[in-house]
Amino acid sequence: MSSESSKKRKPKVIRSDGAPAEGKRTRSDTEQEGKYYSEEAEVDLRDPGRDYELYKYTCQELQRLMAEIQDLKSRGGKDAAVEIEDRRIQSCVHFMTLKKLNRLAHIRLKKGRDQTHEAKQKVDAYHLQLQNLLYEVMHLQKEITKCLEFKSKHEEIDLVSLEEFYKEAPPDISKAEVTMGDPHQQTLARLDWELEQRKRLAEKYRECLSNKEKILKEIEVKKEYLSSLQPRLNSIMQASLPVQEYLFMPFDQAHKQYETARHLPPPLYVLFVQATAYGQACDKMLSVAIEGSVDEAKALFKPPEDSQDDESDSDAEEEQTTKRRRPTLGVQLDDKRKEMLKRHPLSVLLDLKCKDDSVLHLTFYYLMNLNIMTVKARVTTATELITPISAGDLLSPDSVLSCLYPGDHGKKTPNPANQYQFDKVGILTLRDYVLDLGHPYLWVQKLGGLHFPKEQPQHTVITDHSLSASHMETTMKLLKTRVQSRLALHKQFASLEHGIVPVTSDCHYLFPAKVVSRLVKWVTIAHEDYTELHFTKDIVEAGLAGDTNLYYMALVERGTAKLQAAVVLNPGYSSIPPIFQLCLNWKGEKTNNNDDNIRAMESEVNVCYKELCGPRPGHQLLTNQLQRLCVLLDVYLETESHDDSVEGPKEFPQEKMCLRLFRGPSRIKPFKYNHPQGFFSHR
Amino acid sequence: MERAAQQAVPLGQMEVFEALQRLHMTVFSQSVSPCGKFLAAGNNYGQIAIFSLSAALSSEAKEESKKPMVTFQAHDGPVYSMVSTDRHLLSAGDGEVKAWLWAEILKKGCKELWRRQPPYRTSLEVPEINALLLVPKENLLILAGGDCQLHAMDLETGTFMWALRGHTDYIHCLALRERSPEVLSGGEDGAVRLWDLRTAKEVQTIEVYKHEECSRPHNGRWIGCLATDSDWMVCGGGPALTLWHLRSSTPTTVFPMRAPQKHVTFYQDLVLTAAGNSCRVDVFTNLGYRAFSLSF
Repeated sequence: MSSESSKKRKPKVIRSDGAPAEGKRTRSDTEQEGKYYSEEAEVDLRDPGRDYELYKYTCQELQRLMAEIQDLKSRGGKDAAVEIEDRRIQSCVHFMTLKKLNRLAHIRLKKGRDQTHEAKQKVDAYHLQLQNLLYEVMHLQKEITKCLEFKSKHEEIDLVSLEEFYKEAPPDISKAEVTMGDPHQQTLARLDWELEQRKRLAEKYRECLSNKEKILKEIEVKKEYLSSLQPRLNSIMQASLPVQEYLFMPFDQAHKQYETARHLPPPLYVLFVQATAYGQACDKMLSVAIEGSVDEAKALFKPPEDSQDDESDSDAEEEQTTKRRRPTLGVQLDDKRKEMLKRHPLSVLLDLKCKDDSVLHLTFYYLMNLNIMTVKARVTTATELITPISAGDLLSPDSVLSCLYPGDHGKKTPNPANQYQFDKVGILTLRDYVLDLGHPYLWVQKLGGLHFPKEQPQHTVITDHSLSASHMETTMKLLKTRVQSRLALHKQFASLEHGIVPVTSDCHYLFPAKVVSRLVKWVTIAHEDYTELHFTKDIVEAGLAGDTNLYYMALVERGTAKLQAAVVLNPGYSSIPPIFQLCLNWKGEKTNNNDDNIRAMESEVNVCYKELCGPRPGHQLLTNQLQRLCVLLDVYLETESHDDSVEGPKEFPQEKMCLRLFRGPSRIKPFKYNHPQGFFSHR
Repeated sequence: MERAAQQAVPLGQMEVFEALQRLHMTVFSQSVSPCGKFLAAGNNYGQIAIFSLSAALSSEAKEESKKPMVTFQAHDGPVYSMVSTDRHLLSAGDGEVKAWLWAEILKKGCKELWRRQPPYRTSLEVPEINALLLVPKENLLILAGGDCQLHAMDLETGTFMWALRGHTDYIHCLALRERSPEVLSGGEDGAVRLWDLRTAKEVQTIEVYKHEECSRPHNGRWIGCLATDSDWMVCGGGPALTLWHLRSSTPTTVFPMRAPQKHVTFYQDLVLTAAGNSCRVDVFTNLGYRAFSLSF
């Protein structure tokens, strides 16, 4: 190794020492190769420790020699010079050794330094490498994390589910064999499929858009066509009117009605709708129409701004000019009243036709400011009626519909809020205006869907169709019954005024064949007159004689006996029976106060009225009651026990067959007639 | 004046009918319960109403306390007479006697305990029973009415023991003369007859209408009411209300009342009487002073 290194070193040394004569030197190098002395190579051969020892020895020798020299010199002598020379040569050798050693040390140092430097450089290089690598590692790690966090856009897309994908995608995209095992391929395939689908859908969308454009254009065309059709249809409808009339299908008329109905105020509208519906569904004899001016109704909705401005202007003018011109308070108040009681220009007309061809005409109005409905009634018959004197009130428009439902007299406004309005304009009660405006019955409000909760004024009252519908049928039936009973009474009164009690053939069984007492008089009396009669106190006290009833006086006579009967006819006849109070003038005045039999007679007629109702509508009740009264008078007179103190025969011989004349502690006569045996007994 | 308030109520068919019924109602009979707290009243429609006397007579009595606690249909015909034993209420009207338990009577749907019909001779018409009389010592109930006879029924067994005949027209009223014991009956024929209970025979007859002091021919001769306390008798009806001394059969006092009397009782030394012509039962707590009325 050392030879190798020396061989290597030699060329180096030669080159460094003899640089200019290179060419020659190289030849000389090789000649001098083996001869050349390289100290550097020697360094490697020598052991530094031994060199150190040599140094120490040399130093010691030098010191010794010096010391010897010293000694010699100090001693002086001739031999000394040779010995000194000897020693000097030795010390020069030693100096040479020292120098060599020094050189060697320097060389070693230099080598050491070079080696260290090299190593350091290597280490630095490694260090750099390490740092580079670490840096790269960090970089790569970052990249890795970035890569790991990377969310591909494809994950944001909602892909169809796997099953669907495999079902729907064509096999060249789904490539089942490949994709099943490999999720990456699978996802790729799915994305492919997604893309495919989206392309298709985009295609469809474009197609649809173009379709839509086409259709819009078609619509435009058709619209134009239709608008040109409207005037032609109108002319056709006009032309068809005569045909409609010929066929009795008044569609046009109904249509016009519905047109006008749109302008009706809500309660009248409810009434109109419900009545028409009821008429179509249940009762063909009911006809509904609308009367009045539609233009005025439309005018109501125009905002009266202009007129208001005018008014305020004119008012200001008036005040400015003269006080004399201002209208009097009374006239102002009157105008305000008129304004408050104003009716809506449209009204609904209902015609109820009954079986005997008599018609009840009802006109319904709506009072706008008071928010109530009123009705005016009129009865027309097929043949003209000759009104008997006593029947004056029966069919009069004022009272024919009074108390259709108990207590519904129609003289007071049903809307509690109206009272406050009335107070402002000085109206005491609606009763004064009822003849003009119509009656505000409660059933009329219900038919219009207006519901007024008792004693609680409400600001807005909503019209309610269901309220109207629930009352329609009952009210119509009651109206018909009312008209028919009134007409029946009308006819009966005509007969009664002539003294004949018209008993129909199907009621003959209620009475014996022979009735001697006769009805002599039948007149109306006023309510005040009735309450002042002495024998009617009980009825008045019991609250049965109100001012909504009709009052009559009948007189039945037989011989010297005169029986007065005061009759209370309730508007609800014939479901509510007429009430009779009797006063007999025969051998003194007998009333229910002093004669139990008179009481019994009253009871027979008032309490046992159900037997006397007759066939179904019960219109025969009054006449049957009157006939029974005649029979009772007969029985009373004939069964009167003979007074022993008075001489002479009985005025009325007994012709009636009676089992017993008196019965019970009150000793009542036998007033009950038994059919068909024909005898009289007690109840 | 309470009635005036009723005018505000709208009168439908039902209300009118009920008002008419009340106007034409007659209360024929009444009876006080054994405990004294209740009054039963019977009317011409065959209904019995039970009133609470303690509530009506108390100081805090209101309008409602004067209304019946219970009303039920007892008979088909009018209830002409009622009488109370210590446990039962007996009512009679159209030919039948019915018994009701006082303890049960206030409950709804009370049914009669038993009913009995005396053996009548006529079959054409069922005669009414106008008067009931209890003879407590012998546990007898005596009925009298339309068939002109007095029937005696044993309350224990319900059998009719004997019938007393003698009246020529139907009997209105009965009274018991405890000392003898005798039964007095007054009838339509104008006679008051006295019958001995033990021998079941007629003992005495007083024909009231024949006496001038009391007869009122224009009213008839019928005797409507009778009361006796063994020595004295009060009777009235067609003839005027008269006080009779029984032993001598002479009229002593004639009470000046115009209307024919329907009911009369002796109470201690006073005579209480009522001419009930309405649906009201007039309660007299003092002679001549009418305290108040109970009404159906």
